[in-house]
Parts: sequence; C-alpha cells; structure tokens
Amino acid sequence: MSDDENARRFESLVMPHLDAAYNLARWLTRNDHDAQDVVQEALVRAMRYIGGFRGESGRAWLLQIVRNSCFSWLKANRPAERMLLDDEDSLHEITAPASDEPPSIAMRKADRLQINQAIAALPVVYREVLVLRELEDISYNDIARIADIPVGTVMSRLARARGLMREALTPSARPVLRTVPRSACGGEQP
Amino acid sequence: MKPEIEAQKINAFVDAELDLGSQLEMEERLRLDASLREQVEGLRQLREAIREGADYHAAPAAFRKRMTTLIAPKPAESIRAPGVASAVQRWFGWRPMAASFGLVAVVAVVAVALNLAWLHAQDDRLLDDVVASHVRSTLGQHLVDVASSDRHTVKPWLSSKLDFSPPVNELQIPGSVFLGGRVDYLDGRPIAALVYRQGQHIVNSFVWPGAAKDSKAEFSTERGFQTAHWSQGGMNRWVISDVNREEFKAVVRAIQLADSDR
Repeated sequence: MSDDENARRFESLVMPHLDAAYNLARWLTRNDHDAQDVVQEALVRAMRYIGGFRGESGRAWLLQIVRNSCFSWLKANRPAERMLLDDEDSLHEITAPASDEPPSIAMRKADRLQINQAIAALPVVYREVLVLRELEDISYNDIARIADIPVGTVMSRLARARGLMREALTPSARPVLRTVPRSACGGEQP
Repeated sequence: MKPEIEAQKINAFVDAELDLGSQLEMEERLRLDASLREQVEGLRQLREAIREGADYHAAPAAFRKRMTTLIAPKPAESIRAPGVASAVQRWFGWRPMAASFGLVAVVAVVAVALNLAWLHAQDDRLLDDVVASHVRSTLGQHLVDVASSDRHTVKPWLSSKLDFSPPVNELQIPGSVFLGGRVDYLDGRPIAALVYRQGQHIVNSFVWPGAAKDSKAEFSTERGFQTAHWSQGGMNRWVISDVNREEFKAVVRAIQLADSDR
C-alpha cells in the first residue's frame, strides 16, 4: 500500500477520533502537556501500523494504541499509580457491595468540580473503564479490546469504579480521610 | 449470588449490556423487588450525573492542527527540509562566512522548493476531499444540517457547532437560492459548508479559518466540477459546483463581494 493511500486511510479512519484519543489520554495522564505528548506518540505509532489495520472501528483501534502509550507513560513517570494493576484483589474491601447502600439523592447535587475530582482520584484501571464507558459510550466488548482485559474484568472494574464514584459523591458515605475546614465544624448544629 | 456478581449484573443491566435471557430475568425481578428498583434508579442517577458533569477533553485546536500536519502525506520532506537548512546554518555559523553563504542559499532554495511541492500536494489532497464532500452531499440526503434561506438562522447555528463563526451570505446574482448550511470535515477539522442552488445546480461553499493573508481565487476543473479556492478575511474558502464555467465565476465573484461587505 502506498504512503499516500495510507495517509488517506489514516485521515478517514483515525483522525475523526482525535478528540476521543485526547480525552482518554487527558484523563489518564491528568494534564494537558503529557496528554499531548502521549497522543502524538500514539499517532506516530498508529501511522506506522495503519497498513496492517483491517478492522472496522478506527476508534477502538486508535484508543487501544493511545491506551498502551498512556500506560507506558505511566510506567515511566508515575510508577506508583500502576501498582494497582497487579494487585486488584486488595481493592475488594475498599467498596462496600452496592446492595447495602441506599440510592443517593445527594448525587443529583454533585457539581462538576466534585465529579471531575472524583474521577481523577480513581485508581487508573477504574478511571480508564469509567471514562471509556461514560464519556465515550463504548460497549463492554470494545472496552475489553482497548484495555486488553476479559469482558468479565470490564464488568467488575466498572461496577467498582461506580461504587467508588458513589462513595466520593455521597456526603454521608465519605471516607474519614476528608478534611473539614475548621469553621464548618465549630459550634452546635441547629 | 455473590454481592460483587450481583452488582456487576445491575451495572450491566443499566448499561443495556445483558444478554436477552438475563435482561428478561432482571426485568421480572425488578417488578417484584423494590430495593432492587432503588438500586437501579440510584445507578442511573449516578450515570447521568457523571455523563452530564464530567469534563470532556476535546483535542485543543492548536494541537489538532499540529497533528494534522504531522500525518499529512509526504511529511518527510516538508518537515525535514527547514530543519536541515537550519542545521546547516548552525554548523556553518562559526565557519568563514563566505564559504557558508553559498551552501546555505542552495539549501534554503531546496527547502523552499520542497515546501512548495508539499503545499501543492496538500492542495491536491484537499481538492480530492472537496470533490468527495460535494459529491456525497448531492448524492445522499445530507445536503444541509440546517435548511433555511435566512442567514440569520444559519449563521448562529453553525457558530454554535464550530469553533469559529463563518461568514454566511445570500448571493446577489440572478438564479441563486440559499439552501442552508451543514458541518462537514475537511483539511483535518470540522468546517462550515454553505449550500446554494444556482439554477438546477448545487453549489457547495466550504469555509474555515486559515491564512491571514488574502489570496486571489485559483480556478480549476476536477472530474467535471468547477472549483475555486482563495483566502479572504482570515478564512480559507473552497467553492465547487457543476454549473458552467461562466456562471461559476459569477458565483465566486458574488461570494467574494458578499464577504468583503461584511
């Protein structure tokens, strides 16, 4: 296949998904500068492999490459974040099973800032599936392909990600670590 | 059932990812179990809250532009050429000036030539895309996103969908009808397409922010279509139609005139 043809395919199959690529990288690296580096590197890689791409969904294909670039970047630059990858079992006690908790009306009131902070605070493997599902509306099957995990793991991580989100967004269920400004706890409540 | 498995099932139900059997089973259980209904409702609210509240980080415009250049065909010469020129300049900077000038000049000329060649290649590619977009728009049902002969309807609509506000004008020539506009994708970015009918022929006029310097219209004929492109008022403009050449020139003049009156 000629370079021109590859470039054309790249532009029609891959470039329309630049926003999705950037959004994923931005959420995983949590800053614009690194997201740009990672996406650029991913595009260069994608350009190299485009000749061998035979699939239908350019989006899933590109996001898979971006995801891998992100995780290489995390490995090199944020080694502590990746620890959770191999140690998923230890996280099981973090979240109480969903069935014990009442639905939260407080969630409705959660503002953008809270929601963004809660997502940013998720361990990266949960953040990844949550962003792919809620912000890109990608099917479980495609998430499994992108993150290179079985569909069962997509389901367990997504359930846990949402459990953590609910905890973070429901005031009564907040973990003890939250700091409360002095003025807020001084004095009796009426 | 283990609580984790149950939670996963409820999540998959809310995401409409259960197989049909499990889906029906879940619906039946929901009918009977109020606390399950509450859980599902809670999860739906959470999902809504995240979808509505979370930031979506679209690629910044400058970054998109950089990436589009990066992947453009034959980028090797264009990107390397100026680099080589400056490297040579750097290397010769501390050499006797006389010796270096000649070589630098030669390299610079080559670099400019390669750049021009590359720009032409880019134009060719853009021309192909313009033709493809025009043909697509006339073949399918998707001629306009917003059908209106009133530019005061079309302009705000396009502005709300794009990161710029395109000039939208009716054309002051006989036989011209303004049909509306749509958002299309050209030159690696979303752009505005304004659609006119000239007699029985469709005219697509594509516009997006570009060169700051105005340029004259360049005309060409591609696969039987008349095309013209130029820059005006900081906007790139490509116009294409299957009208005859004389009428096409009149259309182009009318667009330029309307834009300059803005």
